[in-house]
Amino acid sequence: MSTLEHEEPETETETETEPEFDQEGAVGAARALEESYGEERARRVDEDLEDADEIVELKVFRYDPEVEGKEEPRFDSFLVPFHKGMTVLDALIYARDYYDSSLTFRHSCQQAVCGSDALFVNGRQRLGCKTQLADLEDPVRIEPLPHQEVVKDLVVDMEHFYEQMHAVEPFFDPDDLPDGELEEQRQSPENREKVKLSTRCIWCGACMSSCNIAAGDNQYLGPAAINKAYRFAMDEREGEDRKQERLRIIEQEHGVWRCQTQFSCTEVCPKDIPLTEHIQELKRESVKNNLKFW
Amino acid sequence: MAEHYSSFERGGRRWLLQRITAVFLIGVLAFHFVLLHFVNHAADIRFAGTQMRMSQLGYFVTMWLFLATATFHGVNGVYNALVNMGIEGTQKRVVAGVLAVAGLLLVAQGTRVALAMTNIV
Amino acid sequence: MFGQERVAGGRCCVETSNYTRYFARGMSTLDRGTIEDFGRWREFAPGMWAWIFHKFTGWVLVGYLFTHIAVLSTATGGAELYNSTLVGLESLLVVRFLEVGLLAVAVFHILNGIRLLFVDLGVGLTAQDKSFYASLLLTGVIVVASIPTFLGGAV
Repeated sequence: MSTLEHEEPETETETETEPEFDQEGAVGAARALEESYGEERARRVDEDLEDADEIVELKVFRYDPEVEGKEEPRFDSFLVPFHKGMTVLDALIYARDYYDSSLTFRHSCQQAVCGSDALFVNGRQRLGCKTQLADLEDPVRIEPLPHQEVVKDLVVDMEHFYEQMHAVEPFFDPDDLPDGELEEQRQSPENREKVKLSTRCIWCGACMSSCNIAAGDNQYLGPAAINKAYRFAMDEREGEDRKQERLRIIEQEHGVWRCQTQFSCTEVCPKDIPLTEHIQELKRESVKNNLKFW
Repeated sequence: MAEHYSSFERGGRRWLLQRITAVFLIGVLAFHFVLLHFVNHAADIRFAGTQMRMSQLGYFVTMWLFLATATFHGVNGVYNALVNMGIEGTQKRVVAGVLAVAGLLLVAQGTRVALAMTNIV
Repeated sequence: MFGQERVAGGRCCVETSNYTRYFARGMSTLDRGTIEDFGRWREFAPGMWAWIFHKFTGWVLVGYLFTHIAVLSTATGGAELYNSTLVGLESLLVVRFLEVGLLAVAVFHILNGIRLLFVDLGVGLTAQDKSFYASLLLTGVIVVASIPTFLGGAV
């Protein structure tokens, strides 16, 4: 045993509450060579659960039309050892690593900038990596985003969302370029401040999935797309003609007018963008714009 | 998805009208309720009283405007609720037509009734 | 390399690539119901309740508008018909209660409508949920205060 202490590197266990070198873990790692993978995992889970201060139960939506037993959606329960600062995404990763490697969900940056892990947690749209388990009631119910086709488990089809985003031409496109060859396109600090919040969108799709009108009316552009349009329409560097074109897109019947100011989008946006406010501003902008021609 | 089509021009006009009629209706509906339930009790309404009120030009015009704006506000509201629920294509055009006709008929009938309540007819 | 499939019964197109085909082949239309599935009512935010109630009261009021004009049409049949119709209706207790209901519906629609007008003007957006609760409360107060007047004479 003592020889192992010097040769084996410190092994990290899932419970980060132990600061000292984990001899058991080191021994366990060596023993893993003789155990089956499943047995080793199961033993590690038992150890983690014993060591943990608290155990959290996850109820995760499972669905896989290609696997018998998962053709009808069901909820699987996973017991996860809790540590301070643990997020929903951490818990899902633990469940996938230690219980069921077929558990499927999107995630990437783990810091709320990629927008991959928008989920429906305890009845509300949230980002998995940004939601603390400590803030949630046990058992934690995790489902895929509502109002979107489920591909498998927690993965939803985002194509419709992307189509709506692309429909508003979400790219910077000025009417004229400045005269000088290396001249910058300047934006005043006030203008930047105006569009600042609308630039924060990470395309996670939480807002659109929370909107009842987006749920009912398939052609509705949705809060994220309209916010994107706002971001560019209100950017003074683009010019008046481009702004008119952008307004023309969002003032169609299934554009801004469908918004019924339900505010669900604003409530669930993980980047705290005041979506409803932006949509309202565009409605007013459109009305003022059209009144001019009467 | 964002094709450039619109059966009503750009939807913004109806949105604005819905708000304008709303403001008017707040006042008139409240007035109507107070007059016919508090100032006069509903149970005490008789043709004589109705005729007296409706024979005053100002009141008559107000009531007729009430009818027209309420019909627009209500029918437009129903149309929007249905669009939000996702009707599209032919079904949508049919519904729009039916609602428009129903609205016009309501205003026509209401006008007849209003005139019958005055001492003109 | 990329193809476009129409998902059975679904409303969107799917781009298939070698990657997505890996787990998207079995895409089906699993119907999880709408967001406003009333089984989830506890999870509804105030703004959503406001929208639901405004729609509901709107439908009731439109229905009432048509009915009201129909009843008033007895005026074209002369004073006797008009009077007897109104007196007859007002003497029914259930009609009195329906009138209280109508008041509640109209008052809520007006108060929430005012709230929506403020939202449309961009005023007070941060307090939108509080203003919804205020409209509910005020509706209740007005309705309760009006009950004696409405039911008076028939109870």
